[in-house]
Order: sequence, then structure tokens, then C-alpha cells
Amino acid sequence: MRWCLALLVCCLLAAVNALSSSGSRLLAVLEDTDQKDLYSTLWADLEARGYDVSIESPKSDQLALFKHGERAYDHLLILPPKSKGLGPSLTPKHIVDFMNKDGNILLALSGKASTSSAVSSLLLELDIHLANDRSAVVIDHFNYDTLSAAEKHDVLVLQRPGPLRTDVKAFFDGEGVLALPRVAPQTLGGESTLLAPILSAPATAYSYNPKEGVPAPEDILATGSQLNIVSSMQARNSARFTVLGSVEALEDKWFSASVKTPSGTETPTVNREFAKQLTAWAFKETGVLKVDKVEHRLATEGSELNPSIYRIKNETVYKIEVSEYVYDKWVPFELPGDDELQLEFTMLSPFHRLPLKPIGRTETSTIFSAQFVTPDQHGIFSFRVNYKRPFFTAIEEKHEVTVRHFAHDEYPRSWVITGGWVWIAGLWAVIGGFLAFVVVWLYSAPVADKLKKTQ
Amino acid sequence: MHLWQATASFCLLAATAVPGVAASAWGFTDATVAVQPKGAGINGGFKDQLTPSKPLASPVSLVGADTLRVILTAQEGSSAKRPHQAFLLLKDGQTGLDISYPFSVKDNGKSRVELTQKDLPIQFLSLSNPVDARVVLGGFGDSTAYDSSVFQLSIDRNPEEAVPTVETERYGKKPEINHIFKDSASSPPIVITLAFVAMVGATIPVLAGLWHLLGANVSHLPTAFQSAPLSHATFLGSLIAFEGLLFLYYTSWSLFAFLPAAGVIGTIAFVSGSRALGEVQGRRLAGRR
Repeated sequence: MRWCLALLVCCLLAAVNALSSSGSRLLAVLEDTDQKDLYSTLWADLEARGYDVSIESPKSDQLALFKHGERAYDHLLILPPKSKGLGPSLTPKHIVDFMNKDGNILLALSGKASTSSAVSSLLLELDIHLANDRSAVVIDHFNYDTLSAAEKHDVLVLQRPGPLRTDVKAFFDGEGVLALPRVAPQTLGGESTLLAPILSAPATAYSYNPKEGVPAPEDILATGSQLNIVSSMQARNSARFTVLGSVEALEDKWFSASVKTPSGTETPTVNREFAKQLTAWAFKETGVLKVDKVEHRLATEGSELNPSIYRIKNETVYKIEVSEYVYDKWVPFELPGDDELQLEFTMLSPFHRLPLKPIGRTETSTIFSAQFVTPDQHGIFSFRVNYKRPFFTAIEEKHEVTVRHFAHDEYPRSWVITGGWVWIAGLWAVIGGFLAFVVVWLYSAPVADKLKKTQ
Repeated sequence: MHLWQATASFCLLAATAVPGVAASAWGFTDATVAVQPKGAGINGGFKDQLTPSKPLASPVSLVGADTLRVILTAQEGSSAKRPHQAFLLLKDGQTGLDISYPFSVKDNGKSRVELTQKDLPIQFLSLSNPVDARVVLGGFGDSTAYDSSVFQLSIDRNPEEAVPTVETERYGKKPEINHIFKDSASSPPIVITLAFVAMVGATIPVLAGLWHLLGANVSHLPTAFQSAPLSHATFLGSLIAFEGLLFLYYTSWSLFAFLPAAGVIGTIAFVSGSRALGEVQGRRLAGRR
């Protein structure tokens, strides 16, 4: 009876905590803990989604990201500090170590005061750049809130972002407008595949330091869509680092505000919705992929499952089941837009790279399959599925198999090869001739007349 | 309560702002666009007037090392003034690319920007259609900002020069690869094969005919079978059986099925053969061959 009760409690706990796919311990770093009431709706929303939120000041002595060498928290939300750094327990090195151990980070910036140099150097490690003087603000004279920033034009009013490309899933889209007060812009390095912008500024936006007057042309860091308001970095271990340019957008005030652009009408903001989408993605409630099952076999009926050896030119079937985590459950994964899940049959380099087509689905996963003929090259091959896309955690599946040559008795027989008939006929002609010779030698009588004539 | 107050003050603000908006809007006057080829004088090359209300009818072409120059005087309402934002914005509708070039503005609103192909990001150099060149003027406060297309800029290149491309890797689907198989082994046409098979098959009758011409015969067959019928029959039979064994080995038997059978038949052939050859020797000793 007590067993049952314990089990029930465990199940309940699991149900409450199983919200994010990678744990529920969330540390919010807030320099002035008195300010936490400004974000009370955010904390309430996070706790309602199952997070175990602890709010600490970076100056606190007890604050440590690691305990006994393991992560003490699963996720980290850093609100911008006013002082120069984040303290001794949140140095850039600690934060990068936290990511290396699969911890997720959401870093909020603010254009109200200049960003601390510790945060700036942390971002530089990830190839995310801030303005040189770290105190730039994004201004747009076309998409600002006329109600709250009629003079300064520094409260941007933007639509939620659509898909980044046609083959990328839109995790942050939807109806309604966002109010983004005093955004600290970021620019992204062009070389990294790990960086992806979530929300870019409109084409007419630019950044400048509000403490200075009219910016000289050479002082303008970047303009238009080069300026990012929200950007993301997903490391190779799929740990996520999200930068939000405007911390004020998370405040209760902006969750329930109404805004009006110069040309539009007064509309309520959807900041609360967007904050949910953004924190859900940042803390791995969305965009998490999982491989449930991998099967490969010969295309013939009743063949062995996942054999370790194939022959060259075998017709082979490969199947993979993929699930996607959406907020609180695993659902069948659907490919976004014109994207493809690709199977590679590789020995050093891919011999085949084929699209895997969805052929069916289970309750929680989609079954993708491809059929192909193994190449006419023997060796150690592997079935590889290497699916890395912006905003999705990486799938890397590698299954090694041997591809052998034809065995001696698997070649076609000589009489099947028409070109060999001449040689077969020759062989039997020799055999026939030999038998005839034996008979003639055994039973031939001398031809007396002819012998006599020649003698 | 607080919200109400805020809304009321906003309404007041909006009410005072509305007439102002209508009165003051950013715009420009005395604007020209010029393309100066490299080495040409100040007045060489293309030059045209720009109007704030309507873009130029035909695209402006910027080739090779030409310099594009846009000059204008910014105005708020009807008085020349320095705007906070004065950009020449290039925008491509198809790809969504955009980039702005700030004007250098004097306090009297006179603004000027110069641009060559070297200043453009290389993504712009490979565009096939002209890009939209817009002038963006804006400032703080409640005056309406200006953003409108003023001309189309066609970025032309010398067709003999290669267009620089960007080689940056992005995660996405890769091109499909299908293994190219080697050609399978093939036989010559069946007609040729059959012709050669016929030629090989014809050797047996040819051999028989030649032997017949030389006088080969089987006249001693009855004699031999009369004197030693069992040994001759067994010897010939074992030879034929041995060839049959080879045929079975070729089509289906394994070596371990073949070897014992070959041993048995070989022994029979040896024993019966020595008897049969003894009979042949008897015929020779009798002077009959």
C-alpha cells in the first residue's frame, strides 16, 4: 500500500517536473532582488509551466552554478546587471562551462544603461557583438510606440518574427505586436553556423548612443536587419544561449500594455505570449528532437533486422522514428517547409545521400524511410542521419555495417552468361572427341589394302 | 486607476500632436543623383533630378568602378534642417536584403552620400534585378518621418568578370547524392556467340570425317565383345560415367560428393581397363592389328 502511494507521489512529481525536456531548475540572476516584482507575471508563468525558479543576486555568497562538479541548475536567466560584472561565480568561463554541461541560458540586455564588460566579453566568445561603447539603443522613426515614446522613438513596435528561411520552423510567430523598449542591439558574426537571429530590426532602424547627439556616419554600427533584437546560439551539444535585447519587454507593465505606431491603431501587446515562446525555446520546451528507433534491413520479406553485414548491390530499407518535444509532450516530428531529413550511406564520404520520406506515424513519432541499393564497393559503411537545423536540437545517428563482396557461389553460373557458351561447347567437344578416340583406338581394324599399297 | 490616468494623458498628448504632425513632415528638396565614371570630370556621366513624391522612371546603372552620388537638402516641413536619421537605403524585394548608407549632413540640411560597388556587400553584387534605392529621413518628436523609393539602382558588372560569391556554411539540407554504379559485365550479341558455338560443334563431324577418310573403323567391336564382353562394357561404361560425374560436379555437386564417386569409378575403370587392354594386346599378338 505504501509502495503504491510512493509510486503515485513519484508519478505526480514527474508529471509536474517533466515540463522542460531537460530539467526544471531555473536560476534567475537579478542584481537588485527588490526588482523581482517588476517581473512577477514572468515568474508566475514560468512556475505555472513547472519551473522551480530561484532568484539570486550575483553578489550572493551562496550563488554557484556547480555543486560537486555537476550543474546545480538546468537553466539560467540573467537579467542585466548595473555594476561592471556578474560577480565571481558568474564569470564568462563559468557560464561557458555551464553551457558545455548542457545548461541553457537566456541573457537579457537593456539599452537603458551600458552593458557590463563581463557580459560583452561573454558574448564576444560566442561571436555575438555589441556596439563598441556598449550603450547603443535601437531607434526606428517608423515603428515606434507613439503612446510611450512619442519623443524618443526608442520603444519599438514589431510583428512577431516569421520563419527565418523557408526550410526553418517558425517557433516565435503569431498574431499581434510586440513592444520592445530600449533595445540593446546585437550583430552576429557571419561565419558561425551555430548562430541564428530570432528577431531582427526593421530595415529603417538604426542604433546610436543616446548620450551623444546626432551620430556621425562612421559611428553607426549597423542598420536595418543587421541589427538583432533577439538572437540565439545553439552549441554543438544543443545547449542554448539566447540573447534578448530588451529586458523591459519582460516586465509586467509591457505584458499588458497597449501600443500605437505612427500609422496604426492602438493594440494590446503580445509580449506575454512571446515571452512564453522565447523562454520555452530557450529552456528546451520546444524544438527538441529525439530518435526513438532506427531499423535497417534487406528489402526482401522476412529478412533479418539490423544485420551487421550486407552485400554490395543489396536492396536495403532504412527506417528512423523521430519525435519532437512540444511544451509538455512528445509529438510526431514534422519537417518544416521544404526541408528534408537525409540519410547518408558513408564510407569516409557519402556514397548515397537520400531524402527520408515520412511513411507513417505512431502516437509520438513519425516514421521516415528510404530504400536504396548498396553501392558496388565493399568496405565498412555507416548509415548516417545528421540533421542539424537552426532552432532544432541536433540529431546524429550513426550505425556501422560491413558491406561484403559477392561470395563465390553468388555469381551467375557460366551457362547463364551467353558469352561463355563457346567455351562450354569447346569443353564438351573435347570430351566427345576423347571418347570417340578411345572407341576407335580399341576397336579399329587395320585397313589391309591401303597399308599394302603404301608399303 | 493608473492606467486611466495614463490613457488620459496620452490622449491629451495625441490631441496636441495631431495638428503638428500634419504641419511638419520630413522631406527633401534640391536632390540629384549622379553616376560618375572613373576618371571622368565632375560633370561627366549620368545626372538626374530626384523628386520626393515619385521615383525615377528608369533604373540608374552603377557599373564597375563608377561612383554613385546622391545630394539632397533635408527639410522638416518647408524649412531646411538637419535630421537625426538620413540614410540611403538599398532594399531588394525578392531576397529581403537591406543596407543603409548614412548621408553626411550639414547643419543646414545639405546631405551627400557617395557609393561605389566596393562599398556594397557582395550579396548585392549577384542580384539580377535592380534594387530599390530609398531615402529615409527622420528625427525625434512628432514630425512624420520620410521613407520612399526615389530610384531603382541596377548594379551591373562586367560580364567577363566572375561574380564574387559568399562561401559561408549554414545548416540546411544538402544536395542529394546517388551512387553511380559501374557498368555490369556484358556478353557479345547472341548471334555471334551462336555462330562460334556452331563452329566449335562442327569440329566433331569434321574429326569423324577425317578419321573415316584415313580408314578408321570399329570393325573389331563384335570380336572384342565376344572374347571379353564384361570388361569392355564396364571399361567404356566407366569412362562415360566419369564424364557424367564431371557434368554433375559442374552443375550441382560439391567436391566432397564428387571425389569418392570418382574414386569408385576410377578403380572400376582401372580394373576393367587392364582386362580390356589385355584383350586388345591378345589381338595384336595374334597379328590382327
